[in-house]
Amino acid sequence: MSYILQTNHLTKTINGKDLVKNADIHVEKGTIYGFLGPNGAGKTTIMKMITNLWKPTDGSIEIFGEILTTKSYYLLKRMGNIIEFPVFYEHMSGIENLKLHSEYMGYYHPNNIEQTLELLSLSDAGNKPVKQYSLGMKQRLGIARAVLCKPELLILDEPTNGLDPAGMKQIRDLFRRLCTEYGITIMISSHILSEVESIADTIGIIHHGVMKNEIAMKEITEQNTEYIALSVGDTQKAAYILAEMGLERFKIVDEQNIRIYDTRMNIQELSKTLVLHQVELHSIGQKAESLEDYFLKLTQELGNEK
Amino acid sequence: MFKLVRLEWKKNNIGKYVWYAFITSVLLLLMVLMVAGEMESKETIQSYGKSMLIPCVDMFTNLAYILFTSVMIAGFCVSPYQNRTINLIFSYPVSRRKLVLAQIASVWIFNFIALVLSKICFYGTLAAASPYIHIAAENLPLKSGEFYADILAGSAAMVSIGFLALPVGLWMKSSKAAIITGVLIVCFTQGNIGSYTLMYNLPFYCVLICLSAAAIISVICTVESRDVA
Repeated sequence: MSYILQTNHLTKTINGKDLVKNADIHVEKGTIYGFLGPNGAGKTTIMKMITNLWKPTDGSIEIFGEILTTKSYYLLKRMGNIIEFPVFYEHMSGIENLKLHSEYMGYYHPNNIEQTLELLSLSDAGNKPVKQYSLGMKQRLGIARAVLCKPELLILDEPTNGLDPAGMKQIRDLFRRLCTEYGITIMISSHILSEVESIADTIGIIHHGVMKNEIAMKEITEQNTEYIALSVGDTQKAAYILAEMGLERFKIVDEQNIRIYDTRMNIQELSKTLVLHQVELHSIGQKAESLEDYFLKLTQELGNEK
Repeated sequence: MFKLVRLEWKKNNIGKYVWYAFITSVLLLLMVLMVAGEMESKETIQSYGKSMLIPCVDMFTNLAYILFTSVMIAGFCVSPYQNRTINLIFSYPVSRRKLVLAQIASVWIFNFIALVLSKICFYGTLAAASPYIHIAAENLPLKSGEFYADILAGSAAMVSIGFLALPVGLWMKSSKAAIITGVLIVCFTQGNIGSYTLMYNLPFYCVLICLSAAAIISVICTVESRDVA
Protein backbone atom coordinates (compact mmCIF):
# COMPACT_ATOMS: atom_id res chain seq x y z
CA MET A 1 0.00 0.00 0.00
CA SER A 2 1.41 3.40 -0.98
CA TYR A 3 0.88 6.00 1.72
CA ILE A 4 1.63 9.61 0.92
CA LEU A 5 1.24 10.47 4.59
CA GLN A 6 1.49 8.33 7.67
CA THR A 7 2.12 8.96 11.33
CA ASN A 8 3.61 6.55 13.82
CA HIS A 9 2.67 6.87 17.48
CA LEU A 10 2.35 10.60 17.03
CA THR A 11 2.07 12.32 20.40
CA LYS A 12 1.76 15.94 21.43
CA THR A 13 1.87 16.86 25.09
CA ILE A 14 1.51 20.39 26.38
CA ASN A 15 1.83 21.21 30.08
CA GLY A 16 1.54 17.52 30.94
CA LYS A 17 -1.70 17.11 29.00
CA ASP A 18 -1.78 14.73 26.03
CA LEU A 19 -3.50 16.56 23.20
CA VAL A 20 -2.72 13.66 20.88
CA LYS A 21 -1.53 10.26 22.00
CA ASN A 22 0.04 7.54 19.85
CA ALA A 23 -1.92 8.50 16.76
CA ASP A 24 -1.37 6.32 13.71
CA ILE A 25 -2.76 7.77 10.51
CA HIS A 26 -2.48 6.31 7.03
CA VAL A 27 -3.41 8.39 4.00
CA GLU A 28 -3.28 6.68 0.65
CA LYS A 29 -1.99 8.53 -2.38
CA GLY A 30 -4.67 9.97 -4.66
CA THR A 31 -7.52 9.64 -2.16
CA ILE A 32 -9.57 11.92 0.05
CA TYR A 33 -9.14 11.24 3.75
CA GLY A 34 -11.92 12.52 5.98
CA PHE A 35 -10.66 13.34 9.45
CA LEU A 36 -13.44 13.30 12.02
CA GLY A 37 -13.69 13.92 15.70
CA PRO A 38 -15.62 16.00 18.19
CA ASN A 39 -14.39 19.49 19.05
CA GLY A 40 -11.12 19.36 20.95
CA ALA A 41 -10.41 15.78 19.83
CA GLY A 42 -7.00 16.70 18.42
CA LYS A 43 -7.66 17.11 14.68
CA THR A 44 -6.14 20.58 14.37
CA THR A 45 -3.20 19.59 16.58
CA ILE A 46 -2.37 16.72 14.23
CA MET A 47 -2.78 18.93 11.17
CA LYS A 48 -0.48 21.54 12.72
CA MET A 49 2.15 18.87 13.29
CA ILE A 50 1.80 17.59 9.72
CA THR A 51 2.35 21.11 8.37
CA ASN A 52 5.38 21.51 10.67
CA LEU A 53 3.83 24.37 12.66
CA TRP A 54 3.92 22.31 15.84
CA LYS A 55 6.61 19.81 16.70
CA PRO A 56 5.63 16.34 17.94
CA THR A 57 6.53 15.45 21.52
CA ASP A 58 6.96 11.86 20.41
CA GLY A 59 6.42 9.68 17.36
CA SER A 60 7.02 10.56 13.75
CA ILE A 61 5.35 11.84 10.62
CA GLU A 62 6.24 10.44 7.24
CA ILE A 63 5.31 12.49 4.20
CA PHE A 64 6.19 11.57 0.61
CA GLY A 65 8.24 8.72 2.04
CA GLU A 66 10.40 10.96 4.22
CA ILE A 67 10.35 11.55 7.95
CA LEU A 68 9.33 15.12 8.71
CA THR A 69 11.96 16.95 10.77
CA THR A 70 12.37 20.58 11.80
CA LYS A 71 14.46 21.04 8.67
CA SER A 72 12.12 19.42 6.13
CA TYR A 73 11.12 22.72 4.54
CA TYR A 74 11.37 21.38 1.02
CA LEU A 75 8.51 18.97 1.75
CA LEU A 76 6.24 21.93 2.47
CA LYS A 77 6.66 22.96 -1.16
CA ARG A 78 4.62 19.93 -2.18
CA MET A 79 1.81 20.70 0.25
CA GLY A 80 -1.06 23.17 0.44
CA ASN A 81 -2.97 23.85 3.62
CA ILE A 82 -5.64 25.70 5.50
CA ILE A 83 -5.24 25.41 9.26
CA GLU A 84 -8.06 26.74 11.48
CA PHE A 85 -8.98 29.72 9.29
CA PRO A 86 -7.17 31.34 6.37
CA VAL A 87 -5.24 34.52 7.16
CA PHE A 88 -4.24 37.16 4.63
CA TYR A 89 -2.52 40.49 4.30
CA GLU A 90 -5.78 42.37 4.48
CA HIS A 91 -4.58 45.59 2.83
CA MET A 92 -3.50 43.65 -0.26
CA SER A 93 -5.87 42.45 -2.97
CA GLY A 94 -6.71 38.79 -3.50
CA ILE A 95 -4.43 38.68 -6.55
CA GLU A 96 -1.56 40.32 -4.65
CA ASN A 97 -1.94 37.80 -1.82
CA LEU A 98 -1.79 34.93 -4.30
CA LYS A 99 1.22 36.46 -6.08
CA LEU A 100 3.02 36.78 -2.74
CA HIS A 101 2.21 33.15 -1.96
CA SER A 102 3.58 32.04 -5.34
CA GLU A 103 6.79 33.96 -4.70
CA TYR A 104 7.31 32.34 -1.30
CA MET A 105 6.52 28.92 -2.73
CA GLY A 106 8.82 29.51 -5.70
CA TYR A 107 6.05 28.56 -8.10
CA TYR A 108 5.69 30.49 -11.32
CA HIS A 109 3.10 29.63 -13.91
CA PRO A 110 1.55 32.14 -16.30
CA ASN A 111 -2.21 32.72 -15.86
CA ASN A 112 -2.24 30.37 -12.89
CA ILE A 113 -3.65 32.98 -10.51
CA GLU A 114 -6.44 34.01 -12.89
CA GLN A 115 -7.36 30.37 -13.52
CA THR A 116 -7.43 29.55 -9.83
CA LEU A 117 -9.56 32.59 -9.01
CA GLU A 118 -11.95 31.57 -11.77
CA LEU A 119 -12.10 28.05 -10.36
CA LEU A 120 -13.20 29.49 -7.01
CA SER A 121 -15.59 32.07 -8.57
CA LEU A 122 -13.47 34.95 -7.34
CA SER A 123 -12.45 36.51 -10.65
CA ASP A 124 -14.52 39.66 -10.06
CA ALA A 125 -13.14 40.18 -6.56
CA GLY A 126 -9.49 39.53 -7.42
CA ASN A 127 -8.47 43.18 -7.37
CA LYS A 128 -10.38 44.13 -4.20
CA PRO A 129 -8.47 44.44 -0.91
CA VAL A 130 -9.04 41.32 1.17
CA LYS A 131 -10.39 43.45 4.05
CA GLN A 132 -13.49 44.01 1.88
CA TYR A 133 -14.09 40.27 1.43
CA SER A 134 -16.91 38.44 3.20
CA LEU A 135 -16.13 35.42 5.39
CA GLY A 136 -17.13 33.04 2.59
CA MET A 137 -14.96 34.88 0.05
CA LYS A 138 -11.98 34.69 2.40
CA GLN A 139 -12.57 30.97 2.77
CA ARG A 140 -12.62 30.59 -1.01
CA LEU A 141 -9.47 32.65 -1.34
CA GLY A 142 -7.85 30.43 1.29
CA ILE A 143 -8.75 27.36 -0.77
CA ALA A 144 -7.48 29.13 -3.91
CA ARG A 145 -4.17 29.76 -2.15
CA ALA A 146 -3.97 26.17 -0.94
CA VAL A 147 -4.45 24.73 -4.44
CA LEU A 148 -2.59 27.50 -6.32
CA CYS A 149 0.78 25.79 -6.56
CA LYS A 150 -0.68 22.41 -7.56
CA PRO A 151 0.33 20.58 -4.38
CA GLU A 152 0.50 16.82 -4.15
CA LEU A 153 -1.03 16.86 -0.68
CA LEU A 154 -3.70 19.19 0.64
CA ILE A 155 -4.26 19.54 4.38
CA LEU A 156 -7.58 21.26 4.97
CA ASP A 157 -8.91 22.00 8.43
CA GLU A 158 -12.64 22.74 8.23
CA PRO A 159 -12.30 24.32 4.76
CA THR A 160 -16.00 24.92 4.17
CA ASN A 161 -16.56 27.06 7.27
CA GLY A 162 -18.49 30.18 6.36
CA LEU A 163 -19.67 28.91 2.99
CA ASP A 164 -23.33 28.77 2.00
CA PRO A 165 -24.80 25.39 0.91
CA ALA A 166 -24.27 26.14 -2.79
CA GLY A 167 -20.68 27.18 -2.06
CA MET A 168 -20.11 23.99 -0.06
CA LYS A 169 -21.35 21.89 -2.95
CA GLN A 170 -19.09 23.75 -5.35
CA ILE A 171 -16.05 23.27 -3.12
CA ARG A 172 -16.91 19.61 -2.56
CA ASP A 173 -17.06 19.08 -6.33
CA LEU A 174 -13.77 20.95 -6.69
CA PHE A 175 -12.04 18.67 -4.16
CA ARG A 176 -13.34 15.58 -5.90
CA ARG A 177 -12.12 17.00 -9.23
CA LEU A 178 -8.69 17.87 -7.83
CA CYS A 179 -8.41 14.34 -6.55
CA THR A 180 -9.57 12.50 -9.66
CA GLU A 181 -8.21 14.78 -12.40
CA TYR A 182 -4.98 15.99 -10.82
CA GLY A 183 -4.27 13.11 -8.46
CA ILE A 184 -4.04 15.44 -5.46
CA THR A 185 -4.33 13.66 -2.11
CA ILE A 186 -6.60 15.53 0.29
CA MET A 187 -6.84 15.26 4.06
CA ILE A 188 -9.91 17.13 5.19
CA SER A 189 -11.40 17.67 8.60
CA SER A 190 -14.92 18.88 9.04
CA HIS A 191 -17.56 19.04 11.71
CA ILE A 192 -20.21 18.58 9.04
CA LEU A 193 -20.14 14.81 8.68
CA SER A 194 -22.36 14.73 5.60
CA GLU A 195 -19.77 16.93 3.87
CA VAL A 196 -17.03 14.40 4.44
CA GLU A 197 -19.32 11.45 3.78
CA SER A 198 -20.03 12.58 0.24
CA ILE A 199 -16.42 12.99 -0.83
CA ALA A 200 -14.11 10.93 1.39
CA ASP A 201 -12.64 7.60 0.38
CA THR A 202 -11.36 6.85 3.86
CA ILE A 203 -12.43 8.06 7.27
CA GLY A 204 -10.22 8.50 10.33
CA ILE A 205 -11.91 9.02 13.67
CA ILE A 206 -10.13 10.62 16.59
CA HIS A 207 -11.52 10.98 20.10
CA HIS A 208 -9.84 12.54 23.12
CA GLY A 209 -6.55 12.67 21.20
CA VAL A 210 -6.56 8.95 20.36
CA MET A 211 -7.09 7.60 16.85
CA LYS A 212 -9.95 5.15 17.18
CA ASN A 213 -10.57 3.90 13.72
CA GLU A 214 -9.59 4.23 10.11
CA ILE A 215 -12.05 2.77 7.71
CA ALA A 216 -12.85 2.99 4.00
CA MET A 217 -16.20 4.63 3.26
CA LYS A 218 -16.99 1.60 1.12
CA GLU A 219 -16.68 -0.59 4.20
CA ILE A 220 -19.02 1.61 6.22
CA THR A 221 -21.70 1.33 3.57
CA GLU A 222 -21.14 -2.41 3.27
CA GLN A 223 -21.09 -3.07 7.03
CA ASN A 224 -24.75 -4.03 7.45
CA THR A 225 -25.64 -0.43 7.67
CA GLU A 226 -28.85 -0.78 5.68
CA TYR A 227 -31.85 -1.48 7.85
CA ILE A 228 -35.61 -1.46 8.00
CA ALA A 229 -36.86 1.24 10.35
CA LEU A 230 -40.04 0.37 12.23
CA SER A 231 -42.05 2.78 14.31
CA VAL A 232 -44.61 0.96 16.43
CA GLY A 233 -46.91 1.53 19.42
CA ASP A 234 -45.52 -1.37 21.46
CA THR A 235 -41.92 -2.31 20.82
CA GLN A 236 -41.95 -5.29 23.23
CA LYS A 237 -44.84 -6.92 21.43
CA ALA A 238 -43.34 -6.14 18.02
CA ALA A 239 -40.00 -7.60 19.09
CA TYR A 240 -41.73 -10.80 20.23
CA ILE A 241 -43.41 -11.16 16.85
CA LEU A 242 -40.15 -10.46 14.97
CA ALA A 243 -38.48 -13.20 17.00
CA GLU A 244 -41.38 -15.49 16.21
CA MET A 245 -40.78 -14.76 12.53
CA GLY A 246 -37.23 -16.04 12.93
CA LEU A 247 -35.54 -12.64 12.77
CA GLU A 248 -32.48 -12.30 14.99
CA ARG A 249 -30.71 -9.18 13.80
CA PHE A 250 -32.86 -6.36 15.06
CA LYS A 251 -32.46 -3.71 17.72
CA ILE A 252 -34.93 -1.77 19.86
CA VAL A 253 -33.71 1.81 19.52
CA ASP A 254 -36.19 3.47 21.89
CA GLU A 255 -39.80 3.19 23.08
CA GLN A 256 -41.18 3.44 19.54
CA ASN A 257 -38.43 2.50 17.11
CA ILE A 258 -36.91 -0.78 16.04
CA ARG A 259 -34.21 -1.37 13.44
CA ILE A 260 -34.13 -4.65 11.52
CA TYR A 261 -30.74 -5.28 9.96
CA ASP A 262 -31.85 -8.22 7.81
CA THR A 263 -32.86 -6.21 4.79
CA ARG A 264 -33.85 -9.28 2.76
CA MET A 265 -37.06 -9.25 4.77
CA ASN A 266 -40.04 -8.27 2.64
CA ILE A 267 -41.48 -5.00 4.01
CA GLN A 268 -45.05 -5.72 2.87
CA GLU A 269 -45.02 -9.15 4.46
CA LEU A 270 -43.57 -7.70 7.65
CA SER A 271 -46.16 -4.94 7.94
CA LYS A 272 -48.97 -7.42 7.20
CA THR A 273 -47.76 -9.77 9.97
CA LEU A 274 -47.49 -6.95 12.51
CA VAL A 275 -50.94 -5.61 11.70
CA LEU A 276 -52.42 -9.15 11.89
CA HIS A 277 -50.94 -9.44 15.40
CA GLN A 278 -52.56 -6.12 16.28
CA VAL A 279 -49.33 -4.17 16.61
CA GLU A 280 -49.96 -0.46 16.09
CA LEU A 281 -47.72 0.37 13.12
CA HIS A 282 -46.85 4.07 12.71
CA SER A 283 -44.34 3.80 9.89
CA ILE A 284 -42.08 1.35 8.13
CA GLY A 285 -39.33 1.91 5.58
CA GLN A 286 -35.88 0.95 4.41
CA LYS A 287 -33.01 3.22 5.46
CA ALA A 288 -29.23 3.34 5.32
CA GLU A 289 -27.05 4.15 8.27
CA SER A 290 -25.15 7.36 7.56
CA LEU A 291 -21.60 8.21 8.48
CA GLU A 292 -23.13 10.32 11.22
CA ASP A 293 -24.75 7.21 12.74
CA TYR A 294 -21.46 5.37 12.50
CA PHE A 295 -19.53 8.25 14.00
CA LEU A 296 -21.97 8.78 16.85
CA LYS A 297 -22.10 5.07 17.56
CA LEU A 298 -18.32 4.88 17.75
CA THR A 299 -17.79 8.02 19.83
CA GLN A 300 -20.64 7.06 22.19
CA GLU A 301 -19.11 3.63 22.65
CA LEU A 302 -15.79 5.29 23.39
CA GLY A 303 -17.48 7.68 25.78
CA ASN A 304 -19.01 4.75 27.62
CA GLU A 305 -15.64 2.96 27.73
CA LYS A 306 -14.11 6.06 29.33
CA MET B 1 17.87 36.53 1.45
CA PHE B 2 17.33 39.80 -0.37
CA LYS B 3 14.27 38.30 -2.04
CA LEU B 4 12.82 37.51 1.41
CA VAL B 5 13.60 41.04 2.60
CA ARG B 6 11.90 42.45 -0.49
CA LEU B 7 8.84 40.29 0.18
CA GLU B 8 8.75 41.54 3.79
CA TRP B 9 8.76 45.13 2.53
CA LYS B 10 6.11 44.32 -0.04
CA LYS B 11 3.64 42.64 2.30
CA ASN B 12 4.13 45.22 5.05
CA ASN B 13 3.51 48.09 2.64
CA ILE B 14 6.94 49.70 2.91
CA GLY B 15 5.74 52.70 0.89
CA LYS B 16 3.71 53.76 3.93
CA TYR B 17 6.81 53.68 6.14
CA VAL B 18 8.87 55.60 3.55
CA TRP B 19 6.23 58.31 3.57
CA TYR B 20 6.08 58.43 7.40
CA ALA B 21 9.88 58.55 7.59
CA PHE B 22 9.95 61.40 5.08
CA ILE B 23 7.33 63.44 6.95
CA THR B 24 9.07 62.79 10.29
CA SER B 25 12.43 63.83 8.87
CA VAL B 26 11.03 67.02 7.33
CA LEU B 27 9.40 67.99 10.64
CA LEU B 28 12.58 67.25 12.56
CA LEU B 29 14.63 69.24 10.05
CA LEU B 30 12.33 72.21 10.57
CA MET B 31 12.83 71.89 14.31
CA VAL B 32 16.61 71.77 13.88
CA LEU B 33 16.48 74.81 11.62
CA MET B 34 14.39 76.62 14.23
CA VAL B 35 16.96 75.74 16.88
CA ALA B 36 19.72 76.95 14.56
CA GLY B 37 17.78 80.17 13.91
CA GLU B 38 17.41 80.68 17.62
CA MET B 39 21.20 80.54 18.00
CA GLU B 40 21.63 83.65 15.92
CA SER B 41 19.90 85.90 18.39
CA LYS B 42 21.26 84.54 21.63
CA GLU B 43 24.65 82.94 21.23
CA THR B 44 27.81 83.38 19.29
CA ILE B 45 27.08 81.12 16.38
CA GLN B 46 30.47 79.54 16.15
CA SER B 47 30.76 78.38 19.72
CA TYR B 48 27.12 77.44 19.99
CA GLY B 49 27.20 75.64 16.65
CA LYS B 50 30.29 73.75 17.57
CA SER B 51 28.99 72.54 20.90
CA MET B 52 25.29 72.13 20.15
CA LEU B 53 24.48 71.71 16.49
CA ILE B 54 25.82 68.22 15.90
CA PRO B 55 24.41 66.82 19.18
CA CYS B 56 21.11 68.47 18.33
CA VAL B 57 20.91 66.73 14.93
CA ASP B 58 22.09 63.47 16.48
CA MET B 59 19.55 63.59 19.25
CA PHE B 60 16.55 64.39 17.06
CA THR B 61 17.39 61.82 14.40
CA ASN B 62 18.40 59.06 16.83
CA LEU B 63 15.30 59.62 18.91
CA ALA B 64 13.06 59.48 15.85
CA TYR B 65 14.61 56.36 14.37
CA ILE B 66 14.88 54.35 17.57
CA LEU B 67 11.14 54.89 17.89
CA PHE B 68 10.66 54.15 14.21
CA THR B 69 12.63 50.92 14.61
CA SER B 70 10.44 49.80 17.50
CA VAL B 71 7.27 50.65 15.55
CA MET B 72 8.51 48.64 12.57
CA ILE B 73 9.53 45.75 14.83
CA ALA B 74 5.96 45.77 16.14
CA GLY B 75 4.59 45.74 12.59
CA PHE B 76 7.04 43.36 10.91
CA CYS B 77 8.08 40.94 13.66
CA VAL B 78 5.46 40.97 16.44
CA SER B 79 2.11 41.56 14.74
CA PRO B 80 2.39 38.34 12.61
CA TYR B 81 2.05 36.44 15.92
CA GLN B 82 -1.00 38.51 16.83
CA ASN B 83 -2.83 38.33 13.50
CA ARG B 84 -1.66 34.75 12.95
CA THR B 85 -0.01 35.39 9.59
CA ILE B 86 2.99 33.67 11.21
CA ASN B 87 1.15 30.37 10.60
CA LEU B 88 1.16 31.18 6.93
CA ILE B 89 4.77 32.38 6.84
CA PHE B 90 6.06 29.28 8.62
CA SER B 91 4.19 26.96 6.27
CA TYR B 92 6.38 28.11 3.37
CA PRO B 93 9.26 25.93 2.20
CA VAL B 94 11.86 28.28 3.67
CA SER B 95 13.90 27.88 6.85
CA ARG B 96 12.25 29.64 9.78
CA ARG B 97 15.61 31.15 10.68
CA LYS B 98 15.86 32.74 7.26
CA LEU B 99 12.31 34.04 7.49
CA VAL B 100 12.89 35.63 10.90
CA LEU B 101 16.26 36.95 9.80
CA ALA B 102 14.55 38.52 6.78
CA GLN B 103 12.03 40.21 9.08
CA ILE B 104 14.82 41.60 11.23
CA ALA B 105 16.97 42.60 8.25
CA SER B 106 14.08 44.36 6.52
CA VAL B 107 13.56 46.59 9.59
CA TRP B 108 17.28 47.12 10.22
CA ILE B 109 18.19 48.00 6.62
CA PHE B 110 15.29 50.41 6.23
CA ASN B 111 16.00 52.28 9.44
CA PHE B 112 19.75 52.33 8.93
CA ILE B 113 19.41 53.82 5.44
CA ALA B 114 16.71 56.25 6.58
CA LEU B 115 18.79 57.39 9.57
CA VAL B 116 21.98 57.85 7.54
CA LEU B 117 20.13 59.73 4.80
CA SER B 118 18.31 61.89 7.35
CA LYS B 119 21.54 62.86 9.09
CA ILE B 120 23.29 63.64 5.81
CA CYS B 121 20.27 65.64 4.61
CA PHE B 122 20.11 67.53 7.90
CA TYR B 123 23.78 68.45 7.82
CA GLY B 124 23.62 69.22 4.10
CA THR B 125 20.61 71.48 4.58
CA LEU B 126 22.26 73.24 7.53
CA ALA B 127 25.43 73.77 5.47
CA ALA B 128 23.39 75.08 2.53
CA ALA B 129 21.38 77.35 4.83
CA SER B 130 24.42 78.56 6.78
CA PRO B 131 24.73 81.92 4.96
CA TYR B 132 21.14 82.74 5.88
CA ILE B 133 21.05 81.54 9.46
CA HIS B 134 24.63 82.45 10.24
CA ILE B 135 25.94 79.01 11.06
CA ALA B 136 29.64 78.69 10.59
CA ALA B 137 29.84 76.03 7.88
CA GLU B 138 33.28 74.96 9.12
CA ASN B 139 31.53 73.52 12.17
CA LEU B 140 29.95 70.96 9.86
CA PRO B 141 32.84 68.80 8.63
CA LEU B 142 31.05 67.64 5.49
CA LYS B 143 34.28 66.99 3.66
CA SER B 144 35.72 64.74 6.34
CA GLY B 145 35.61 60.98 5.83
CA GLU B 146 35.65 60.48 9.57
CA PHE B 147 32.46 62.49 9.85
CA TYR B 148 30.66 60.07 7.49
CA ALA B 149 32.19 57.04 9.20
CA ASP B 150 30.81 58.42 12.48
CA ILE B 151 27.38 58.80 10.91
CA LEU B 152 27.45 55.22 9.58
CA ALA B 153 28.70 53.67 12.84
CA GLY B 154 26.40 55.79 15.01
CA SER B 155 23.37 54.97 12.87
CA ALA B 156 24.14 51.23 12.88
CA ALA B 157 24.52 51.33 16.67
CA MET B 158 21.29 53.27 17.25
CA VAL B 159 19.17 51.05 14.99
CA SER B 160 20.70 47.94 16.60
CA ILE B 161 19.89 49.24 20.08
CA GLY B 162 16.30 49.75 18.93
CA PHE B 163 16.12 45.97 18.47
CA LEU B 164 15.95 45.52 22.24
CA ALA B 165 12.24 46.00 21.63
CA LEU B 166 12.14 42.72 19.69
CA PRO B 167 12.42 40.15 22.51
CA VAL B 168 10.06 42.17 24.71
CA GLY B 169 7.43 42.36 21.96
CA LEU B 170 7.78 38.65 21.12
CA TRP B 171 7.82 37.57 24.75
CA MET B 172 4.68 39.53 25.56
CA LYS B 173 3.23 38.92 22.08
CA SER B 174 2.34 42.58 22.05
CA SER B 175 3.07 45.31 19.51
CA LYS B 176 2.36 47.92 22.17
CA ALA B 177 5.01 46.40 24.45
CA ALA B 178 7.57 46.66 21.63
CA ILE B 179 6.75 50.32 21.04
CA ILE B 180 6.80 51.17 24.76
CA THR B 181 10.20 49.49 24.99
CA GLY B 182 11.33 51.76 22.15
CA VAL B 183 10.19 54.80 24.12
CA LEU B 184 12.10 53.60 27.19
CA ILE B 185 15.24 53.04 25.11
CA VAL B 186 14.93 56.60 23.81
CA CYS B 187 14.59 57.93 27.38
CA PHE B 188 17.68 56.05 28.53
CA THR B 189 19.88 56.78 25.55
CA GLN B 190 18.85 60.30 24.58
CA GLY B 191 17.45 61.76 27.77
CA ASN B 192 19.15 63.65 30.56
CA ILE B 193 18.62 64.38 34.24
CA GLY B 194 19.99 67.84 34.81
CA SER B 195 23.41 67.75 33.22
CA TYR B 196 23.71 63.95 33.50
CA THR B 197 23.14 61.99 30.30
CA LEU B 198 24.14 58.60 28.94
CA MET B 199 24.09 59.98 25.40
CA TYR B 200 27.87 59.86 25.02
CA ASN B 201 28.58 56.98 27.38
CA LEU B 202 30.37 54.50 25.14
CA PRO B 203 30.40 51.52 27.57
CA PHE B 204 26.65 51.94 28.08
CA TYR B 205 26.09 51.77 24.33
CA CYS B 206 28.38 48.75 24.04
CA VAL B 207 26.34 46.92 26.70
CA LEU B 208 23.07 47.79 24.92
CA ILE B 209 24.43 46.64 21.56
CA CYS B 210 25.63 43.34 23.09
CA LEU B 211 22.23 42.81 24.73
CA SER B 212 20.49 43.57 21.46
CA ALA B 213 22.75 41.16 19.53
CA ALA B 214 22.15 38.45 22.15
CA ALA B 215 18.39 39.00 21.90
CA ILE B 216 18.42 38.70 18.11
CA ILE B 217 20.59 35.57 18.20
CA SER B 218 18.34 34.00 20.82
CA VAL B 219 15.19 34.75 18.78
CA ILE B 220 16.73 33.25 15.63
CA CYS B 221 18.18 30.19 17.37
CA THR B 222 14.98 29.17 19.15
CA VAL B 223 12.57 29.76 16.30
CA GLU B 224 13.07 26.34 14.67
CA SER B 225 11.92 24.29 17.63
CA ARG B 226 9.17 26.59 18.82
CA ASP B 227 5.50 25.74 18.30
CA VAL B 228 3.55 28.44 16.52
CA ALA B 229 0.64 29.42 18.75
